[in-house]
Amino acid sequence: MDSYDAPELTPRQDASSRLKDFFIGATPLQKRLESVRKQTSFIPTPPRRKIPQGSQLQEDVDPQKFAVLLHKQWTLYSLTPLYKFSYTDFKEYSKLLTAFIAAEKKKGLAVEVGDDFNIKVIFSTLMGVKGTERDPEAFLVQILSKSQLPSEHKEGKVLWTGWFCCVFGDSLLETVSEDFTCLPLFLANGAETNTAIIGTWFQKTFDCYFRPLAISSFNLSWMAAMWTACKMDHYMATTEFLWSVPCSPHSLDISYAIHPEDAKALWDNVHKTPGEVTQEEVDLFMDCLYSHFHRHFKIHLSATRLVRVSTSVASAHTDGKIKILCPKYLIGVLAYLTELAVFQIE
Amino acid sequence: MDETLAEFFRRTILKIPMTEMMTILKTWNFLSENQLQTVNFRQRKESIVQDLVLLLINIEYHATLRLNDAAHLDIIYTQFHRHQKIWDVFQMSKRPGDNIDLFDMEEFKSSFKKILQRALKNVTVSFRDAEENSVWIRIAWGTQYKKPNQYKPAYVVYYSQTPYAFTSSSQLKSNLPLLGQALTVASKHHQIVKMDLRSRYLDSLKAIVFKQYNQSFETHNSTTSLQERSFGLDINMDSRIIHENKVEKERVQRVTQEIFGDYPQPRLEFAQYKLETKFKSDLNRGILAEREEPLRCLVKFSSPHLLEALKSLAPAGIADAPLSPLLTCIPNKGRNYFKIRDK
Repeated sequence: MDSYDAPELTPRQDASSRLKDFFIGATPLQKRLESVRKQTSFIPTPPRRKIPQGSQLQEDVDPQKFAVLLHKQWTLYSLTPLYKFSYTDFKEYSKLLTAFIAAEKKKGLAVEVGDDFNIKVIFSTLMGVKGTERDPEAFLVQILSKSQLPSEHKEGKVLWTGWFCCVFGDSLLETVSEDFTCLPLFLANGAETNTAIIGTWFQKTFDCYFRPLAISSFNLSWMAAMWTACKMDHYMATTEFLWSVPCSPHSLDISYAIHPEDAKALWDNVHKTPGEVTQEEVDLFMDCLYSHFHRHFKIHLSATRLVRVSTSVASAHTDGKIKILCPKYLIGVLAYLTELAVFQIE
Repeated sequence: MDETLAEFFRRTILKIPMTEMMTILKTWNFLSENQLQTVNFRQRKESIVQDLVLLLINIEYHATLRLNDAAHLDIIYTQFHRHQKIWDVFQMSKRPGDNIDLFDMEEFKSSFKKILQRALKNVTVSFRDAEENSVWIRIAWGTQYKKPNQYKPAYVVYYSQTPYAFTSSSQLKSNLPLLGQALTVASKHHQIVKMDLRSRYLDSLKAIVFKQYNQSFETHNSTTSLQERSFGLDINMDSRIIHENKVEKERVQRVTQEIFGDYPQPRLEFAQYKLETKFKSDLNRGILAEREEPLRCLVKFSSPHLLEALKSLAPAGIADAPLSPLLTCIPNKGRNYFKIRDK
């Protein structure tokens, strides 16, 4: 049936148990050895994934809180588990990180034009941004500029935002002891220099390691299919793909936008298994887009590199950039990204 | 000198890169050699600009420095940096049976200016003649109540022996109909139409529209055989080495050559296709077979040199040869915006 030599998979109700069964009884190394031995694909990607539904956990949470997460471009990193991290020490962390940033900037290592040394760092919990009860709470870190005028008590401008989360991270949670907090997905928005400073502090304080998280063309096409599969009341954005063509000496970019209703109609014709997306369906969906394009332009898009996909749910770039547009599917998007982050860590 | 005029001079001169400063000032020909020599060009740029502006303010032999002189400098700067603007192409036509009057440049300029001034009280119009009977027109737009904004001018390049004019996309789109009308009437045409052609490279647009791009170059390369050129082979190479798919590779090279020609392609940065066609696929039978409505797509190709990039696709194996006529017709049809529907 499937080209992947994965353990028996039967349709599941619960997404977290699906992941658990998939990884049962095998360390990552064992899995890889097995797939090499059986000469199957090196990537242990599940051949099917659940279509994101609006998560139950979100209903008790104020949707306003998510506003800070939406409509912003985030740069993605994977993060190894944090050692001896405590949610009750946020005030302490704020103080330490503020001092660290001020010290780094004074050293002149990372100074930008117009840098204001009057900054404040705030840690806060993001309630409800997780998949199961087992997932640790997500938290947010923000760098704010302190208002210059003492008479103004309001908060200054947000200079940089970063957040840490774990959505359906069971496979990772199982492998670590209690001293560790697993938040494998890190998203940052703001100046690179600030991201670097914050990263350094976290690495020193919690003995963890950040790595930029790129998204392969393979995963981008999965995302395109899954987000097209999501039920939407109304479409905010067109469905768009961007390919980069490896020709020389001049580069060529091809952008292919399709009306979201037409993309959905195409997907509905391709989709057979209720509630899930399979590899075959993703391949067929992309193939239809390729053949429609080829009919007009005689160009084989499959020979080029998919670098960006954009839908009303979210948009993602191969350099590890994501923008989430639809609050209803926030958890669904994060679940996929967490999966990619966990894979990179293991 | 008026303060706003001095400021306009300062900002215009400041735009000019130091490497071009002398060339542009000499082309402008407003300041004499002697006057230019009084300025120390070894200073920092800000100081040079300051000295030049002071020089202009103190000028003796011109009664007053006119806005027109500053506008001239701006035109010259833009001519040197034409690729910083995006150019649209307009085509004018005469009524059949209209008299073919002899074109008079001065009459055109005065008529053009009058039409704009009559419509908008405040407008600055400046002209500079250029090669091939063309004229560069700079227009700073104002309104009935506001003085012209010198920092957002529109440019028109009109080739008087042809029905074509090229305009830089201006922020103030509302003035476009007026501009079109002025051009048409002043040049004694009847109608004006915007072509679906747009690019930064004015010279390439010219080449496409005047069909000047297919000049073959007589170089020694044209005497070497097609085979050699396509494979970079030494003709004395060991005959025991065989290329796979040699016949197919040769065919692709030949077909690509026939379509694109032997000459450098005109330079465009993008082509855009609005598609409204039904989904039809031999491989994916049955998918969307019952659907009457077409798929609404927008495809955009972008490249620093689009036509050269497209030319390299078939030889690289990324596209079939011949490449689709939708792409290869771009220079011939003189368009890079298309709307495609099922017949």
